[in-house]
Parts: sequence; structure tokens; C-alpha cells
Amino acid sequence: MTIERDHFGFDAPAPLGHPGRAGLPDGRPTGPEPGERLPDFVLPDASGRPVDYHADRAGAKSVVVFYRSAVW
Amino acid sequence: MLREFAEKQAIPFPLLSDVDSAVIDRFGIRNEEVGPDAGPLHGIPYPGCYVTDEHGVVVAKSFHDSYKKRDSPEILIDAALGRVTLDPKAPRAEGGESAVRITASLRGGRGTLRQGIRRHLVVRFELAPGLHLYGEPVPEGMMPTRVEVRGPEGLVAEPPLLPPTTPLRLEGVGLELPVWSGSFDIVVPLYATGALASETRPLDSDRASLEVRIRYQACDDETCLLPKEEKLSLDVPLDVIDVPRLGMHEGHGQREAAFDGRPHMRRLVLRKLRRKPLGFLRFVAKSIRLEWQALRRRRRG
Repeated sequence: MTIERDHFGFDAPAPLGHPGRAGLPDGRPTGPEPGERLPDFVLPDASGRPVDYHADRAGAKSVVVFYRSAVW
Repeated sequence: MLREFAEKQAIPFPLLSDVDSAVIDRFGIRNEEVGPDAGPLHGIPYPGCYVTDEHGVVVAKSFHDSYKKRDSPEILIDAALGRVTLDPKAPRAEGGESAVRITASLRGGRGTLRQGIRRHLVVRFELAPGLHLYGEPVPEGMMPTRVEVRGPEGLVAEPPLLPPTTPLRLEGVGLELPVWSGSFDIVVPLYATGALASETRPLDSDRASLEVRIRYQACDDETCLLPKEEKLSLDVPLDVIDVPRLGMHEGHGQREAAFDGRPHMRRLVLRKLRRKPLGFLRFVAKSIRLEWQALRRRRRG
């Protein structure tokens, strides 16, 4: 794929305009705000075991990171 | 797939899989510009982080305008713990005077810089008892504390993050001034762009020099020391990024990891193709069109 530098100055192995390079539009909401509780959710972990976010944290602080993919 | 990824990349925290983007939608962070005609990308979120307290309530979050900007894990841990830890292995420089000790240090990634990953340049002030430095605003003639970071082309330093000030009341003149005392940190988030540390070509240099300019004036309740201007230098290692084995990343001078993305990409493509065949074909057509346009741009120079 063609390498191009975007207007932020970042290089990526995809041409400009490629959907994978789409950024966050100005003013677009980004989910729960400070002071709000994260929604309940259950998702499988790497070994397929379901993880219940709020229950399995067992009262610990947490960092929840959304990535795009582990494949690429 | 995640198990292999976690093992090969030695990831110590749980990785969860949101195959159908249901949780991404519950959070409301699906990238809608990436529709069914975006092939394997369909369903991706805007990348970002939430830091929560013990009750799962958000205390800090970060989403950036470019998907390339990500926060160092160390910054997220600092946000969760509510304090900044200086990395003993990271580049650091010391200055100031006996009553005002100043330490500048890069926090995150063991003090390296790589494209898009935000680090924190932490300037720690440690004041002798009774002294304070000024925040803003202060009347003309007084010097507010300023921190500025400069570096080579491709270094982006964001506006400093200032800790909360406390008000200092000067009874005689009826003034209330914002001050810091004791030990406090002024933090400058920064990152490299492609001009300094690209992720599509080998590094031009393996180090960069950052200059930290600090202006301040320390006072106690009665008198002030002379205003000071300091320049501290940090010699910072540059780094490439870790990439999976995939055609799009090969030969770009990055760290090609043990993780082989190719069989997983094939499966992902097949799944998306089965679910949205027309959308996938549109994605292929669009990709070819974008490649043509990029080629024309390059020919025009």
C-alpha cells in the first residue's frame, strides 16, 4: 500500500482518504464522561472465558482501553 | 487469536474481544466513517481510554483527533493512581537552586519517543518550606511560572498541564495570587510525528535532544528571590513501533514482532466477505481508487 503523511504529520502504510485513517470528528461524543459509571458489559477474554467487567474487577480501579484490532 | 497475540507480545493484562462491536456501540464510540464498505475495518471504535475509580466511575479519559495519537500506559497508570511517578531509567535533567530544586524527566515508554505515542515531560519543582511560585494570572511585574519544551522538527509539545493553585492572600494590598508550594509537577504532553520518528521508514537518528525552558520566581510571604530562567537538556532515545507480520508493515524498518497477523487477517477478511459481500467488494474498489489517486499525487510531486 502507498505510504503517505497526513495533515497531523503521521505516516501510515495506507493512502490518504483510506477509511482506516479516519480520525475523530471535532465535537464527536466519546462515550461516558468523567463522573459517569461505565456501562455493564461481559466479553470473552483471550482464552474465551467471559469477563464481567464490573463484577470481576472486584472493587479495583481500572483502565479500559479500546483498540481497533490486534490483527493489524 | 488474542491468546496467541498476548503470549507473543507478553501482554500481562486481560484482552477482551468485541467481535460484533456490541460493547463499542453501547459505549457509543464506533467509528461511523468506517462502514460496511470498509472491509476488515468495519466495526472499529475510535481508539481511546477510560480510567475509573473503584466503583467503575470515570475519573479520566482520553480520545484524540488522530487515531495515531495514543497515551502511554504509564500515563494511564498515573491517572488511575492520582500521582506522577518518575521513571528512574528515563532521561532526566536537574536544575534550579538550593531552595528550588527542579527535575525534568520523560514519563512513559522508559523515556523513549515513537510516532504518535504521547509521553509526559514532567517538570517537578521541590520548594523549600515557606516558598511559593506563581501561577497565572499575576499582576504585571510579577513572573508567573512558565515551562516550554522545544525539540527537532517533528516533535509536538502540547500546552502544559498545570496542577491546581492555592490562593495566597496579600492582606496589605488586597490581592489574591495563585501559587504553588511544596512539591508539584508541571506536565507537558508530547509526541513525535513522522518527521522525527516515522513508522513507515527506518529512523534517521536514534536520539533527539529536547530543550526544556523554565521561567519562575520564588517568593516567601515577605520577599522574592531573583527571577530565574533555566534551560535543561534531555537526550531522548527514539524508537520504532512494534508491528505484526503483515505485508502492509514489511520492509519499513520497524520492529517486526513474533506475532504473525497473516492467518488472522485472512480469517477476518473471509468473515467480513461472507457477512457483507457487496460492501467488501466496494471496499476493494475504493482501495484501488485511493491507490490510484495517491500514485497521481506522487507523480505530480
